[in-house]
Order: sequence, then C-alpha cells, then structure tokens
Amino acid sequence: MSAYARFGLPAALIVLIALFALTTPTFLTLANLKSIAVNHFAILALASLAMTLVVSAGGIDLSVGTAIDMAALAYIVILQQGGAPALAILGAVAGAGLVGLFNAGLIGGLALPPFLATLGTLFIGQSVQQLATNGGVPIYLIAGAPRPIFALIDASRLWLVGLAIVGVGALLTASVFGRRIVAGGVGPAVAFYSGVPVRRDIGKVMILAALIAGVAGVVLSSSVRSYAPLSGNGYLMDAIGATFLGTTFSRWGRANVAGTLLGVLLLSVVKNGLLLTGVSFYWQQVASGVVIFLVLALSFVSRREG
Amino acid sequence: MSKPRNRLAAALRLGAYLAFAAIVVAFALAAPGFLKLGNLLNVLQQSAILGLLAFGLTVVVIGGGGDVVTGGIDLSVAANLGLSAAIYATIIQRGYPDALAVVACLAAGLAVGALNAVAVTVLRIVPLLATLAVANIVSGLEFVLTQNSVVTASSPLLSWLADNGPLAIPVMAYALILVTLIAWPAVQATPSGLRLQAVGAHREAARAAGLPVTAYVAGSYLVSGLLSALAGILSAAYLTGSSPGSSETLLSVVVAALLGVVFSPRLTPTIGGAALAALFIGLLNNGFQLVNISSYWVSGVEGALILFVVACTPAQREALS
Repeated sequence: MSAYARFGLPAALIVLIALFALTTPTFLTLANLKSIAVNHFAILALASLAMTLVVSAGGIDLSVGTAIDMAALAYIVILQQGGAPALAILGAVAGAGLVGLFNAGLIGGLALPPFLATLGTLFIGQSVQQLATNGGVPIYLIAGAPRPIFALIDASRLWLVGLAIVGVGALLTASVFGRRIVAGGVGPAVAFYSGVPVRRDIGKVMILAALIAGVAGVVLSSSVRSYAPLSGNGYLMDAIGATFLGTTFSRWGRANVAGTLLGVLLLSVVKNGLLLTGVSFYWQQVASGVVIFLVLALSFVSRREG
Repeated sequence: MSKPRNRLAAALRLGAYLAFAAIVVAFALAAPGFLKLGNLLNVLQQSAILGLLAFGLTVVVIGGGGDVVTGGIDLSVAANLGLSAAIYATIIQRGYPDALAVVACLAAGLAVGALNAVAVTVLRIVPLLATLAVANIVSGLEFVLTQNSVVTASSPLLSWLADNGPLAIPVMAYALILVTLIAWPAVQATPSGLRLQAVGAHREAARAAGLPVTAYVAGSYLVSGLLSALAGILSAAYLTGSSPGSSETLLSVVVAALLGVVFSPRLTPTIGGAALAALFIGLLNNGFQLVNISSYWVSGVEGALILFVVACTPAQREALS
C-alpha cells in the first residue's frame, strides 16, 4: 500500500473544513463546532465505536441500530411508568445487552456468519419494536415533569463518548483480549490453532458492542425526550461508512479507533457544512454521498498504487 | 465435493421445500381463500418486484463470490428502484409519453450499475462500501426529484402493467415468469453465465484460464442496475406512481437472495432459488394478511427464517469455524 493512502481521509477532512470555513461565515465559530460535536458527532461516534470493535474482530454488526433502539425503548418505558432513573438505565443496559447476548449466541454459539446473524437480529428487532409500539407509534413522556436525568445525560454525553473512545482504544491496542480479537479477526484459523478461543471472543465482542450502542440509545432518547421506533437504524449505514472509511487510515487496512473517529468527523462535518452553505435541503444527501464516494475512491486508488 | 456434504445438501434442500410446503398447507387450512387461483396469482404479482431485485443481487453475488464485505454485493438495488420509479412518475406527470419514461428509467438504472461497476472494478473500492455510497447518492437523487413526497402517475403502460393480461393473469406475474425464464438459463446454462460463475467461484483461476474477469464483474453490476430499473417501472405501476421509502425493501431483497441459496441444488446462489425465495416471502406476507395476523410479525418471521436457514447451511458455517 502506498504510504500516502493513509492520509486521504485526514486530508479530505482538512480540505472540507477549509472549504466550509471559507464559504460560510458561521462554520468555524465555537457555537457551531460545539453543535457538530454534540448533535452530529456524539451518537454516531458511539455507534461507530461499537461497529469498530466488531469489525476488528472480523465481524460486522447490522444490529447496532437495534441495540440503540432496544435500550431507548426500555429506558423511556421505565421512565414513563414512573420508574427511577437508575432503574431506567439498568433497563437500557438489559435491553441492549439482550441484543448482544442474542448475537453472541448466534455467532459465538451456533457459528453463524456475523453479517447474516445480525441481519436476522435486525429483522426480529423490527418486529419486537412494532409489536411493542402498535406499529411504530413513538412513546413520549408527559411534558412538564422535570427530568434531571435528561439534563445530566445531555451534559455528560461528550464525556460518555470520550470514555467509549478511551475504552475501545485501550481494549483494541493495549489489552491481551484486544490483541486476541484482532488476531481472530485477521486470521481466524491461525488464531484458533494458536489456542485463541475465537468464537467465544467474538461472542463477548458482540455483547460489548451492543452495550456501547445501548449508551447511544440512552443519549439519543434523553436528548429527544422520547422513543421513536426504529430510529436507531438510521445510524447503521453511517456507522458502517465511518468504520470502513476509517480502515483507510490504518497501515494494514484494519478498523481502528482513530480512523473511525476521523470517519465520524468527516460525516458530521459534511452534514453540518452542507446545512450551513444553504445547499438545497434535497441536494444535501446527494452531495454528502458524492463526498463519501470521492474519499473512498481517493483512499482505495492510492492504496492500490503502493 | 464429498458425499456426506451432498447428502446434507440434499436433505437441507428437501427441508427447505418441506418448510415451503408446510407453510402453504398451514395457510391453506387457516385461510380458505389462500389456495384460490386468484390469490396465488396475486402473490405472483406482488412477488414480481422483490423477485427482479433479488435476481440482480444474485447475479452480483454469483460474479463476486460469497464473502459479504469483499465479495459481490449490491446494496444500491433498492435505492435504484426508488430512483427509477421516481423518474418514471415525474416524466409521466409532466406529460411525456411512456416510451420516453421507459428509456429514461433503463438509462438511469444502467448508469447506477455503471457507477457501481467503475467503483468496484476500476477504483477497487470494496463492493459493500462502494454500493453503499452509491445507494446514498441514488436515494439522494430520488429525494431531489420527488422532494420526498408521493408523485402520482397514470399512463397507458402503467395501467396495462398493473392490470390483468391474457387468461386473467396479472401482467406483472407474466413479467416475473418471463424474466425468470430468460435469466435462469442465461445464468445457469449459457457460456457467459457459466463463466460468470467461474469468476465468482475462483477469481484467480478464472483469470489464469483467460477469462476477462473485470468485464464479467462489471457486467454483473450492469445487469443488477438494469433489473432494478425494471423493478422500478413495475413499482411505479403497482403504486400508480412513486412514493418515498423504497430503500426499506433492501433488507428483504438481501433475505430473498440468501434464502435462494437453500432452494438451490448445491447451496449456491441461483436465479431459480431466488425466484422461489421471493415467492416464499410473497406467500408469507399474503398468508399473514389473510389469517389476519398483524403484519408487525412479518419481519420477525423473516428474521427467524434467515437464522434458521443459515444455521442449517454448512457452507456458510465452514467460513467461520
């Protein structure tokens, strides 16, 4: 691989930031940068970190959105029924953990390929949510009642993201378990014959990833103060995109935390920047699609010439 | 291929057929109207769109190999259908004739396929990512065209497509049968079809044997683009126009293409298998409606089906263990 290929993603990010800074007066203001971090970056970063963990272990998780949703569902329903915030958070952990356990059983236990196993989980999760909400009716909390838990989560969301970044980063690069799952991801057969319990490890990874996604679910539903069925699925494609964009930043083309964060930042900057440039709302998706396509093309073409 | 594997494959295929039959019998007993010819023809009509998309995806998977990330996959089929339906509806609404709309749809579908082909074969972006990015662009274009609203359209061709043809059989049912009858032998029996399978099964061996590997892989995305555009035209006829949300069919298409694997003799993706799988999903949806079970269960049952099927497919499991 060409040594320059790695810098396609950060270079694109810098060019885009410069472009938006020059074309709009508000992009490089503190208020806007904060809005990018809080509104665009936080939830997608959590979902993408979960994805990064699974992709590092050689899998893929199509049910990150499902874990986000199940956590949000449990969290909001318990609060709605008058449960204590601590209980609601416990419920969210259980909701997301259930998704993770189900995936772990399928992938670690039955040895199903992750793509298909999590696709099944995604479908089943859709039914569960539709049945729980009578076909997709959002659950709102009664307005007016003060909810200090929402304010607390809102205020600490970036700390939660930071915690997840450090946690996943340390796990993947500086722990024995991390080395093992990366080995299992790169060469499952070699790892297996070297005594690594590959399937049990990926099972644990699925649970951990679902729990991280569950944090995203709590953050999301705290900020909108409601639960909208299947809203977590909206993060799935972006999380995959950010993670795989991030692989271009690795010398070996692997998923990595720094690359994923650059990918999430790129997606967030594109969304926010296009909004500010006043490009027609309807053209924004095309424009962001084209930008992502170009970054991919740049990274993969330069990688090949190495 | 070893004997036990063959026996297992045969048993599995038998199991899949039995599951198919069991579901038909169960619905027939529970809903008196289920086995009526009219209803079965309805199912055929309703399966046409899913079937065409599943054929496209199957062709891509055959040419690219089974690995989901690095092998062949086309995540842009559903978005392509949405764009095609939107183009058709918009052109008709502005008063242009059907012929122009058909040409524009097919051209757009081919263009999307060509973009995928370039991304995968020239730029060498992994197909999962390349087609995901293209899907985003394409559904963005649909968004631009329709402003995210319903565009109604009626035209002679659309009414004809949505209506019954000869022998009171829906035209879309004919369309599905016709495309199946063309695509099946084209992929399973013609020299180009067999070469496509060789390219997907072992790319290096195919290249060493002198096959134009890149052309075949690129071609598979063009076919998929074209079939998605055709599905878009059918969708415009079925819904008398275009409506947002077509990208939600993507996962069903993936399911149909995967389920198709168990309906095939050697547990490989085939057109015949994809056709059966599309019908199977169509029957399931229709049966649930007739016996008045909430449609909320449908995706859960589909999910359980995928898991069941994959759990039983040794070829898929060997990849991991």
